[in-house]
Amino acid sequence: MTLLRAPSPAVPERTAAKARPRRGRAGRRPRVLIAITALFFALLYLPIAVVGLFSFNSQKSLTVFDGFSLRWYRAFAHDDLLLSSLGTSLRISLVAMAGSVLLGVALALGLVRCRTRLGSLAGLIMLVPLITPEIVTGVASMLLFKGLGVPLSTGTVMLAEITFSISYVTVILRSRVAALNPEVEEAAMDLGATRWQAVRLVTLPALLPAVLASAVLIFALVFDDFVLAYFTTGVDPQPLSVRIYSAIRFGVQPTINAVGTLMLAGSIALIALALFIPRLFGRRGGLDLLSGK
Amino acid sequence: MALPRPFTRGRRDTSGNRMWVWLMLPGTLWMTGFLIASLVLVAVLAVGTTDELGNPRFGFDLAGVRALADPAYTEVMARSLGYALLTCLICLLIAYPVAYTIALHGGRYKHALIAAIVVPFFANYLVRMYGWSVVLSDDGPVLRTLRAVGLADGGTKILNSGLGVVAGLVYGFVVFMIIPLYAALERLDVSLIEAGRDLYGGPVRTFFFVTLPATRQGAAAGLVLVFLPAMGDFVSAQLMGGPDQIMIGNLIQDKFFQGQNWPLGSALTMLLMLVLLIGMLGYLRRTRKDEAEARR
Amino acid sequence: MDATPAVRLDGVSKQYGDSYAVHRLDLDIEAGHFFSLLGPSGCGKTTTLRMIGGFSDPTDGSVLLGGDDVTALPPNKRNVNTVFQSYALFDHLSIADNVGFGLKRKGVAKAEIRQRVGEMLDLIQLAGLAGRKPATLSGGQRQRVALARALVNRPAVLLLDEPLAALDLKLRRQMQVELKQIQREVGITFVFVTHDQDEALTMSDRIAVMNEGRIEQCGTPEDIYEHPASRFVASFMGTSNLMTGTYRAGAVALEKGPALPVGPRSEIADGTAVSVSVRPEKIWLSDFEPGMQMMSGVIRETVYSGPITTYLIDLAPGVTLSVLEQNTARARMEDRWSGGETVEFGWRPEHCLVLA
Repeated sequence: MTLLRAPSPAVPERTAAKARPRRGRAGRRPRVLIAITALFFALLYLPIAVVGLFSFNSQKSLTVFDGFSLRWYRAFAHDDLLLSSLGTSLRISLVAMAGSVLLGVALALGLVRCRTRLGSLAGLIMLVPLITPEIVTGVASMLLFKGLGVPLSTGTVMLAEITFSISYVTVILRSRVAALNPEVEEAAMDLGATRWQAVRLVTLPALLPAVLASAVLIFALVFDDFVLAYFTTGVDPQPLSVRIYSAIRFGVQPTINAVGTLMLAGSIALIALALFIPRLFGRRGGLDLLSGK
Repeated sequence: MALPRPFTRGRRDTSGNRMWVWLMLPGTLWMTGFLIASLVLVAVLAVGTTDELGNPRFGFDLAGVRALADPAYTEVMARSLGYALLTCLICLLIAYPVAYTIALHGGRYKHALIAAIVVPFFANYLVRMYGWSVVLSDDGPVLRTLRAVGLADGGTKILNSGLGVVAGLVYGFVVFMIIPLYAALERLDVSLIEAGRDLYGGPVRTFFFVTLPATRQGAAAGLVLVFLPAMGDFVSAQLMGGPDQIMIGNLIQDKFFQGQNWPLGSALTMLLMLVLLIGMLGYLRRTRKDEAEARR
Repeated sequence: MDATPAVRLDGVSKQYGDSYAVHRLDLDIEAGHFFSLLGPSGCGKTTTLRMIGGFSDPTDGSVLLGGDDVTALPPNKRNVNTVFQSYALFDHLSIADNVGFGLKRKGVAKAEIRQRVGEMLDLIQLAGLAGRKPATLSGGQRQRVALARALVNRPAVLLLDEPLAALDLKLRRQMQVELKQIQREVGITFVFVTHDQDEALTMSDRIAVMNEGRIEQCGTPEDIYEHPASRFVASFMGTSNLMTGTYRAGAVALEKGPALPVGPRSEIADGTAVSVSVRPEKIWLSDFEPGMQMMSGVIRETVYSGPITTYLIDLAPGVTLSVLEQNTARARMEDRWSGGETVEFGWRPEHCLVLA
């Protein structure tokens, strides 16, 4: 996957496209394909646009736009339950981000460098969350906490989210670690650093862009996560996504449009940021979000 | 001179290893303790019992597992499987032209275009599904457009039907099909297509003889990536399908939250895992076979 | 002169499973020398260097630096520094911080670090780029920074792992001269790994030619070139006319062709399979001297390449010798031989080597 890597030339030069510069890689512009793609993009963004548009509706309707108003945003700002849920979600995301990045960075370093049987076993364990549907992870986590007699609370959500997020951090960072030149760490040791100092002074700084990117991404994913939070949260306080779930199950609630719009805008901004962080550092090699999935 | 030093031989290689093991240990232990242990717990509870208050008790009782054969449940399972497979097929049909267009005709915008697909898909799933249900509602823009062009009448509905559930699943997970297909098409050598034009003539023949086989692995990966979450989803059935369209995920949710029948819920969860594992294994065997063929 | 060698390898081996990357190596490297480990890829030269640097543990034997056994010490406790093939610069640090990294690890005072880094950057002529990041430098500049980063620590021995391999030919020639100059200036022992025989010949005080984990020959550049000790060394160092045959009573009967008189060799038993080696530039085509071994053959091809002309001469069917002739001012174009002509040629007996 080369998504968002260093910009590539518009058209590969060796193809016939050179002679016909305005055309795509495979020659003639296929109108039908372009129409399908356009329709796809329209349907992809329509729900998002609808939620955004009707969050500014002055009336309760989701089908008739009566006029611009901020009343649902105001309603949200005065809804103590939703506001406390927002705070809970932010806390969960921050803790899950810190915990999973800490564990995940160490795990990625260890997995790439450690060529023992334990290393390959750890690599397999790390893949389990990626091939397990969230509902199974959710049920399993809930049973574990109940079985251990731990009452469900914000803390249990944090633990479950960390567990689930470690894999993402590790998958993202693993390829970056593998791409590092091992001689650089050796050079640090050659110049008097211990092995640990070499990791701290040389390897971690080199990984910093990818670490930051994965941290931002995990924050957004955890903030948006619903299934795992739903199974592991206590009754009060509840994360925002669980509140939204309860609300939309019981019909139209325009306040949810406002909250939803804010959440969509926030997570789209964060995910876009995560994709572009490596570029901010002016280095080659973007965040390979998708290769491990 | 050279004294034997049996204990220092190869020491540095292993001491290096030891540090990597220490780095790996916390994360691995965490995952084992929270995830692997909890999955084992689900398996154990699937054959457990409940006391009078409905609290789970360990033991060996196949009531939960036996209940899976109940027609009420087999019907839900068959529906889940059918919807998930249908979702895979529709995703493939949508994702292929989209990925193809972006990869081969996206020009210098292709990175931006693929990012424009990926970024919203990682944004809040619930809000997106909620928005989608509004779009597909009886007064929503889709049905209104269809009615306006005469493709639907007043009685046509999308929500509260199987179609609604599948539409929700497709909207939720089509990105997982686009990404691997796009990756495969991006890698595709254009000269291959040109050679195909020379050999087979028409673009349609070229597509079936050259492009499609070359992207088969991407499509297989996409099918698995869509099948996994689609099979376990319960939000789409709830928001778009209504009570008659429940899937296995809704059953599991119900057994844990309303029904309080944890052994049965655990048995259903294990069944779901089993179906998905079979799918995964099938995929792995397929890719291994492909790789073996490629090596020959 | 100090008799303690800067580096001593004592029966050093590195074994991976059943195969040896380095096999029972004994080697002394004299202090202040420019010493090259030369050999084809996979001959064990880099492994040897890594064992001196402490990046790889020998499975047997010991490594001594300045007389002290350092076999058990990690790289950061050895008074050697390395210039890596990839340069291995720290991309997130400035050039000055890269060069100062080792001094900072050692706890040298800040003022002194600044001064020594400045001197070092002057030496490599990059003083103006102290604040830049490595990514903005050219290949040659990066190479010099890697050198400065190692040298600033004033190690007893500097290890260089094919440091010029990534540079283009012209820059490489220039860096060869520069590197040799710097070595003379700082007087530090250099251990230089290369697969390029020209590089080794022009730069080294001594060369060890390695093959399949063993040292084939160790000596001065002239020694190695003029008196190769084995068939491998003769063929690896420059071009050589190598012919196989059987030694018997002062002559070698070639497998395909005539018997070459090589003079009596008391160290070789009759009937031994040997190789005969004559360097192309040691074969004369005119102005013969008395006592030369004279032969005749048929010119197969004449290859003109500017300063020299190469003749391929068939001594017998299947035995072709290549012969170099300088195109000096006195040589005339029309005097050159052309294909099909029969020519006389000869060499001095001492230039015909018999290799077991």
